[in-house]
Amino acid sequence: MYELNLSRCPSASRAWVFALMTLLVSGPLGAAKVKLSADQWGHPAGPDCVSCHAKASAGLTQQWQESAHQKAGVNCMDCHQADRADPDAQEHEGQVIATIVSPKDCGRCHTQELAEQQGSVHAEAHALIEDRVPALAHNLTGSAMQAAGCDQCHGSRVRVRGDGTLDPATWPNSGIGRINPDGSKGSCSACHGRHRFSKAQAREPEACVRCHAGPDSPDKEIFEASKHGMIYVAEKERMGLDSSEWVAGRDYTAAPTCVTCHMGAAGKLPSTHDVGLRDAWSLNSPVSERQLLLILEDGDKLELPASAPAPKRGAEVRKADGTTGKVKAVVTPDRRRQAMNLVCQECHGKAFTEAFMQQFDSVVELFNTKFAIPAKGIMGELYARGLLTPTPFDEPIELTYWELWHDEGARARHGASMASPNHAWWEGMYLVGRNFYGRFLPEARALAGDQAGQVVDAHLQGEGHQWLANPNLGSRILGFGPPEPEAPADASEAR
Amino acid sequence: MVRLRAPLFITRHVLIALVVGGLGGVLFMVFLMEFDHFTSSNAFCTTCHSMTYADEAYQKSSHFDSASGVRASCGDCHVSEGVFAATWDHAVGGKDLLKQIKGQLFGPDYDDPVVNALHLPEAAFAAREWFRKRDSATCKRCHTLDAIQGKRGGTAAIHKEETQGKTCVDCHYNLVHRPVPDESTFKREAWNRMVEEEFGLPTGRTDELMAGH
Repeated sequence: MYELNLSRCPSASRAWVFALMTLLVSGPLGAAKVKLSADQWGHPAGPDCVSCHAKASAGLTQQWQESAHQKAGVNCMDCHQADRADPDAQEHEGQVIATIVSPKDCGRCHTQELAEQQGSVHAEAHALIEDRVPALAHNLTGSAMQAAGCDQCHGSRVRVRGDGTLDPATWPNSGIGRINPDGSKGSCSACHGRHRFSKAQAREPEACVRCHAGPDSPDKEIFEASKHGMIYVAEKERMGLDSSEWVAGRDYTAAPTCVTCHMGAAGKLPSTHDVGLRDAWSLNSPVSERQLLLILEDGDKLELPASAPAPKRGAEVRKADGTTGKVKAVVTPDRRRQAMNLVCQECHGKAFTEAFMQQFDSVVELFNTKFAIPAKGIMGELYARGLLTPTPFDEPIELTYWELWHDEGARARHGASMASPNHAWWEGMYLVGRNFYGRFLPEARALAGDQAGQVVDAHLQGEGHQWLANPNLGSRILGFGPPEPEAPADASEAR
Repeated sequence: MVRLRAPLFITRHVLIALVVGGLGGVLFMVFLMEFDHFTSSNAFCTTCHSMTYADEAYQKSSHFDSASGVRASCGDCHVSEGVFAATWDHAVGGKDLLKQIKGQLFGPDYDDPVVNALHLPEAAFAAREWFRKRDSATCKRCHTLDAIQGKRGGTAAIHKEETQGKTCVDCHYNLVHRPVPDESTFKREAWNRMVEEEFGLPTGRTDELMAGH
C-alpha cells in the first residue's frame, strides 16, 4: 500500500488505484458482507417492541417489517439497545435503549461501511463548519435557523440534557455529519431512510436532494439537467436499483446516478462509503484546490490542499475537530481523478473521458484565476487596511463576496463537473461575471477610495480582465453597436 | 316472662364509659377522615415552600388541566385510599415535614430551588417505588384499564394486549412533575451540570452543595 502510494509512476496508477480501493472500500456489492455472527443479533426483547409499536407507531413498524433487516432477523433492540452508561441511554418498557442509532451502532454489523464513512467529507460535514456557522446563521438570521437549516444537512452536535432528554435545538436531526452522543460522526439515515433501509431508495438521486440543493450545490438539478439525468429518467426501470449487486457496466448500464460516480462499484473499481474519495478538487471553497486525501492511522481521513507540501507518512496533522492524527497514507488528486475516470470509462472512451475532465478543469481554473484569486486578494487588502471590519456580513461587499464564490461560483463549478450547461453558464459563471464586474468591483472601489489602485486594480492585471481596457469593441449583442454588413450582391465584392 | 337485664358488671360508670368511648371513637374516625382529607389537599401540601416547585410543574400537566374537568389533587395520587392507609401515608409523610423544618436549621434546605432540584431525582425514584409497590393503586382510583380508549387508534389495543405483568407507572412516569430519568440510567454528574446551567452557577458548585448535606 505505502510503496504503491509513494510511487508516483503513472504506469503503476491503475494497480495503485485498486490497491487503494482494497484499503478504503467495500466489495462490488451494495452492502458489504456482514462478518458478525448471526447469534449476535435477534435480541430477545425485539418481538415485544414490535408487538406494541405495531399499534403505537404502525408506520415505522411496517417499514421495518418490509426491510432486509427484518428478513435477516435484525430487530429494534439490535440497533436501539444502549448501555446504561451511554449519555443518551433511557429506560423504556424495562429495556435500556437510545433513540439515536449512530454510525457506531450500525457499524457493529456494517464494519466496512463504517470504516469507509469515518473521516469522509460527509462524516465531517458539521465539524468542518462548526466554528463558521454562527457568523452566518446566528448573526444574519438567528440560532433557530441552525437547527432548522444548517444542521439538517451538516448534522447537529447532539446535546443530551441533564435529565437524559435530547435538546430540541439539536434533535431531531439526521444531518450527515451529526456528532452523536457516543462521539461518532455521521448519520446513516441521512441517505438510508429509516426504517426500511431500502437499497433502491439510497441509490436514487432523490436520496441526495435534501441537501444537494440550494444555491451552493444544486446537484440534483444539475444531474437532472445533464444527459445522465435525462437518460436516468427515461430508463429508470433498467437501472436495477433493487438488485443485490450493483456494479456499473455489469449489473446496469442505462445511466449513472450520484451514487454510481461518487460511491458505486464500476467495473473492477469497488464501491466506497467515502463519498469524497474520487473528488480531485474542492469545489465549495473560495478558491478551488486540488486536494490530497490523508488517511490517518486511527482510521480518520483529512483533506488538504495539494498546493502545500504533502505531509510525510508518520507526520502529525491537525484534524477538523482540533485533535491530531498520524498520517498513514497520502492519496494525490491525480489518483482520485483516476478512480473517477474508471467509472466514466465503463460507458465512455478514455479520450472522451479525459477531454471532458479537461473541460471541467478549465472551468475551475478559469474561476480561480479570473475571479476567485483576485476577489480574495481584494478582500484581503480591504481587511488589512481596516476598510472592512473583521465581523463578516456587516458590510454589503461581504455578502457580495460570499455569493460570488459560495453560491454562484460553486454552482458554476458543480455545473461543469456534472455536465449541465445551464448551471455551468447561466446559473453559474455568467452570474459570477455579472457579480464580479457589476457589484463586487464597484463596491470594492467605493470602499478603497483613492487607494483603489493598490487595493483593486493591482489584482486585475490578468489577461481575462484586459477587455475592459478596450471600450470601443462594439458588438450587436445588446442591439447596438456596428451596423450589420449589407449582404453583398457578389461574394467577390465583399469588403 | 324473663326480664332482660344488663349483666351485673355493666354499671352506670361502665355504661357512661362505653357511650363516651363509642362517641369518642366515632369522633376520632371522623377526625382522621377530615384530617386525611385536609392534609391531602393541594392547599395544605403547598403550605411548605418546598412543595411549590412540584406544584409549578403539576399546574402545567394534564392531571391539573384535563379536558374533562377532572382534576387530581396531590392526595389523589400520593395518598392511599382508606382511612387507615391514608393515615399511615400521612404519618410516613410526616418525615418530610421534619426534614423541611430541620432544613431551616441544618442540612439541605428544600426551600432553596437549587437544593430542591438537586434532590428531586431521589424523591422521584422513591415516589415511583411507592406507586410500583401498590400496583399503581392510586392511578386506578380514576383510570380503569379496560376502559382506556385513547385518542389514537392503537391506544386501546396496547392497553388490552401489552400490559400483562406491568403496572401503570412502569410505562407512565414523568407525567406530572419535572422529568427525571429512570434510576437505571440516571447520571448524577449530568443532572448537576444541568442544574448549574439552569441557575447560572459555576461548574462544581452543586457537587459542593450535595457534599455539604
